[in-house]
Amino acid sequence: MSSVLDVVLSSAFLAAVLRIATPYLLAAFGGLVAERAGISNIALDGQMLSAACTGALVAGYSGSVALGAVSGVAMATLLGLLLAALRLELGADAIIAGIGLNLLASGGTAYAVYSLLDDKGGTTGLKSGSLPTVTLPGIENIPVVGDVLSGQNMVTWLAFLAAPFVAWLFFRTRFGFHLRAVGEMPDAAASVGIAVRRVQYTGLALSGALAGLAGVFLSMGYVSFFVRDMTAGRGFIALAAVFLGGLRPWGVFLAALGFGAAEALAVQLGTLDVPPQLVSTIPYVMTLVALALYAWRRKRRGRAVPAAASL
Amino acid sequence: MMNEPWGKDGPAVAARQVTKTYANGVRAVRAVDLEVPPGEIRAVVGENGAGKSTLMKLFYGLEQPSAGEILVGGRPRVLRGPASAIALGVGMVHQNLMLVPSFTVAQNVVLGVEPGRRGMVDPKTAVETTARLAEESGLVVDPKARVDEVSVGMRQRTEILKALHRRARVLILDEPTAVLTPQETEDLFAAVRRLRDGGMTVLFISHKLREVREISDKVSVMRAGSLVGTVATADATERSLASMMVGRDMSLDVDRTPARPTETTLRVRSLRYDAPTGQSLHGLDFDVAAGEIVGVAGIEGNGQSELAEILAGLRRPTTGTVHVGGTDTAGLDVAGHRRAGIGYVPEDRLHNGAALDASIADNLVVDRHDRPPLARRGILHPGAVRAHADRLIDQYAIRTPDPSVPVRALSGGNMQKVIVARELSAGPRLLIASQVTRGVDIGAMRFMYERLVAARDTGAAVLLISADLTELLALSDRLLVLKDGRLVARFDDTSGLTEKRVGLYMLGVEEHDHDDLTAGLENLGETP
Amino acid sequence: MTTTPMTAIEIEDRSQYRATRRRDFAVDLSMALATILAALAIGFLVMLATGNDPIRAYEAMLTGPLDRSFRVGRWLEDATTLTLLGLSVAIPFRARQISLGAESQVYAGALAAATVAIFLPLPPVVAVIVPMAAAAAAGAGMGLIPGSMKARLGANEIVATLMLNAIVVRVYDYLVNGPLKEPGSSAVHSESIQQDSVLTPLSDVFGIPLGRANIGLGVMLLTAVALWLLITRTPLGYRIRMTGANPDFAAYGGIRVPRVIEWSFVIGGAVAGLAGAHLVQGVYGRLEPGLAGSLAFEGIVVALLARNNPLVVVVAGFFYSYLRAGGDIMEQQTDVGTEIVVVIQAVIVLLVTAQALPNLLKRRMARRQVGVR
Repeated sequence: MSSVLDVVLSSAFLAAVLRIATPYLLAAFGGLVAERAGISNIALDGQMLSAACTGALVAGYSGSVALGAVSGVAMATLLGLLLAALRLELGADAIIAGIGLNLLASGGTAYAVYSLLDDKGGTTGLKSGSLPTVTLPGIENIPVVGDVLSGQNMVTWLAFLAAPFVAWLFFRTRFGFHLRAVGEMPDAAASVGIAVRRVQYTGLALSGALAGLAGVFLSMGYVSFFVRDMTAGRGFIALAAVFLGGLRPWGVFLAALGFGAAEALAVQLGTLDVPPQLVSTIPYVMTLVALALYAWRRKRRGRAVPAAASL
Repeated sequence: MMNEPWGKDGPAVAARQVTKTYANGVRAVRAVDLEVPPGEIRAVVGENGAGKSTLMKLFYGLEQPSAGEILVGGRPRVLRGPASAIALGVGMVHQNLMLVPSFTVAQNVVLGVEPGRRGMVDPKTAVETTARLAEESGLVVDPKARVDEVSVGMRQRTEILKALHRRARVLILDEPTAVLTPQETEDLFAAVRRLRDGGMTVLFISHKLREVREISDKVSVMRAGSLVGTVATADATERSLASMMVGRDMSLDVDRTPARPTETTLRVRSLRYDAPTGQSLHGLDFDVAAGEIVGVAGIEGNGQSELAEILAGLRRPTTGTVHVGGTDTAGLDVAGHRRAGIGYVPEDRLHNGAALDASIADNLVVDRHDRPPLARRGILHPGAVRAHADRLIDQYAIRTPDPSVPVRALSGGNMQKVIVARELSAGPRLLIASQVTRGVDIGAMRFMYERLVAARDTGAAVLLISADLTELLALSDRLLVLKDGRLVARFDDTSGLTEKRVGLYMLGVEEHDHDDLTAGLENLGETP
Repeated sequence: MTTTPMTAIEIEDRSQYRATRRRDFAVDLSMALATILAALAIGFLVMLATGNDPIRAYEAMLTGPLDRSFRVGRWLEDATTLTLLGLSVAIPFRARQISLGAESQVYAGALAAATVAIFLPLPPVVAVIVPMAAAAAAGAGMGLIPGSMKARLGANEIVATLMLNAIVVRVYDYLVNGPLKEPGSSAVHSESIQQDSVLTPLSDVFGIPLGRANIGLGVMLLTAVALWLLITRTPLGYRIRMTGANPDFAAYGGIRVPRVIEWSFVIGGAVAGLAGAHLVQGVYGRLEPGLAGSLAFEGIVVALLARNNPLVVVVAGFFYSYLRAGGDIMEQQTDVGTEIVVVIQAVIVLLVTAQALPNLLKRRMARRQVGVR
């Protein structure tokens, strides 16, 4: 047991938590923005996957990591807009359309990689590079904190800045007010002349972009290539974090960070003599239990679901 | 927040030969000519579906006319949406209030035109602005309170402040008093008059002819999408307006013989309910006998909904007993309550009175789908369900081509007939009828009244809960008044009772003492 | 009566109403066909854009599965599993419960069927039925967890089922790699099931080689009919439909909504469990890693395509499997990636969920009929 404690308290472990939590945080904030805009974005996973694939391919062929990252995020943003268009213009059910987009992303990325590289597995044969790491000057000299923070990918920094950003956006800006009003009471927003659709499109574009950043991190930060279905359901876990976090920015932040920590722990425990498959169920079991406890607590308090929990 | 210029003179708002045909082919407004000069309170009355609301939506830019033109400030305008109407100084207070529940009053007032620079919102200015507007207009609100935690009246005042904040010069009020207490209605009318005296043009949509007579300068009557006429309020009587609305003399008096109550059917003793949200009930004692209609008066939100849902089994009382025909309903689920002979017409038919996307046939069997003649040995027979529906459609004059039509396609009155047909055809011992005529046309209203009296005469105990005092006084054999979750009055004889007198009890100005309230009740104090 | 303007549907008489219904049905049907054609057209363009020969590819895809009898068998075998999985989500969907848990249920079913069929000696016939019953029970149990969480606590069923999927898939993987792995075998799979537990292959029934297709097909068809009867002809089916249409109405009418929700999950879970039994007893004869592939998720698509009508789910399942089988043949013959089929499927889902399209058409036709310009 002491070995477990040693592991958990090591700065390498904390650094791993930050790294592993990065895609969860970004995707969860993407999910949060969409949920608050009144359209559930169940396509987070597909948006991440498309961004990861586009990023690696564009970076690989153009030789520019920056261009790759931008293209990846742009692709996910487009998918966010597509989801909004299906919902708003064609009256599609957001959940079903989301399932369709996930399917499209899964099939489309695999087809693209196979067509371009004649490889069923991924883009390991293509040199695409990684996004740069950021080290604040002087930070490495601080004990523990220095080890944890220095050398983290720039996207990780962005992921942690996303929480205050989203909180600020929601509660301080005019756009955030409109977004929350639209998600909670679209008729009320429309009746005061807020362009409901435009707000929802913008929200879903932002949602896609955040998920896209998460995806780009996977193929250009976490590793430096795209692997078929490499999101491994992270988009769905992020969606779980949105609900566990009670649709509030800091709640979602804690939930997503919790998932990151649990997964990092599973990876570390896997080095001990425990079957890795069973260890890797830990975050999911925790979510299931947390979901039940959260629901039970809410039920006992007799409170309604906050905002537009349309699910 | 610059308003677009108005013409120097001419009407504040007008419609010229305006027609609106919806995509589904329904022509809601037909060639309407209407002019409202500045500084007038104009009432627009008509039955449900007469086109009043559609006409207002045209003025507010929520709908666009299929033909004709809308004038605001003396000039023809194209209103592409509420934003362009707002810019022209038109404000609207909707029947279903358009507020964001989790926002504060101030946030709702400024929503869409928030103070602040560079895309930011300045919460302090929002509160100050709201407080100032409230002060000036005499519409009292708490700017920092969350909207989902304030009274309906304050929500409505918030709506009006919203319009004022946008410098509205025309204010459309769509059935504003439906949700208000008499006192709040008085206050609203006072505020509206003050606004009018300051030059505001007010369009006042209503069903309630008495209020129309009280508040308006002129009345325009609509029928079947057309404008039937406009008269000065001083020259109109309720009877003459009603006859214009329906095109014939229509009396709302109900023919009913004196009740012949027999044995006690519903016995409620020391009923207490601690509500997690909403109104709690504090020790109710009353009886309803077979063969009588007992009305429950009260300003909405004083415990009527909670009482109805407890009696129907949808909520459990905290303490106290309820007996229906000798059955103690404690511990019974909803189905058990129904087996005990309780029928319930819920107050909000769209919420739980019907499954809108399910067929009429399916809607008619929710309480009896698992027993003969519809189901035998675990098999539900679609033919029997259909025959059952055909019979009720015929008996209750539900206008529909087929029982398989989804309830959503029906008008309000027809939908309510489906619900009433289901509840009455179960042959209830006790019928709880909550807001039975809300949002239905006069024809359907009359139909409901006749059916309630008929149910009474065949021996049902009827508990009639309504926000409409006229309706209660016309139908009730006895009347109870609820205030803050307590019974405050009991009238065993309703003849000669006036709305004004009942209003005093509803407002808590007067109260019957405990002995009067419980006189003649048996088994009092059988529970603590 | 009053002269209140009536909504369109009130003015029509009964025969007119029936005509409208027939016309709406025709529109629905042609929309379904148009959707498929549009999706195939998009696939055509994608292949063209990626430098492939779409005509050859489609030829292989669309005629391939009927080419030889064993390919027909491959199609039927796939359709059996897929349709069962489609049926399994159609039931909770009917109660408007978005259960995405077919994956956990099919693996639980496969584990249960395999455990019984490998280790429990049973007489013939019973040896077929008991593992299937065990699979149904295991699937039902996996349905009950998210079902109860939703019904009793109000926990979001999408999240709960997704989490349960993740857990069960990993546990399954662990068991196949560990305790249940065939001793002494280098490849990862379980021991084979006892011969008496095998679902009779259709090749034996019809005397032509039909691959791994088996009498599970019949089980699937019976299940579909049974579920259709359940939904349309039983009180429980009525309760499921009303709960889906408006749970507040159902509760007001005396229906115990939480119990109905649980039942919808349990029934769906049992059917998904049967799909697991079919994979073990009919297709593979043992447990293999990832034996359900992406079928569980595609079952959702099939249910959606069929608007959750059990009989239509069968049609949609056969259609969808045909595309899957054709895609594999296409990849072998033309070098076009089979993933294009997934893209086509995705486009179909997106078009099907675009509700506004057929409604727009219906409304336009209705307007023409009423004679409004």
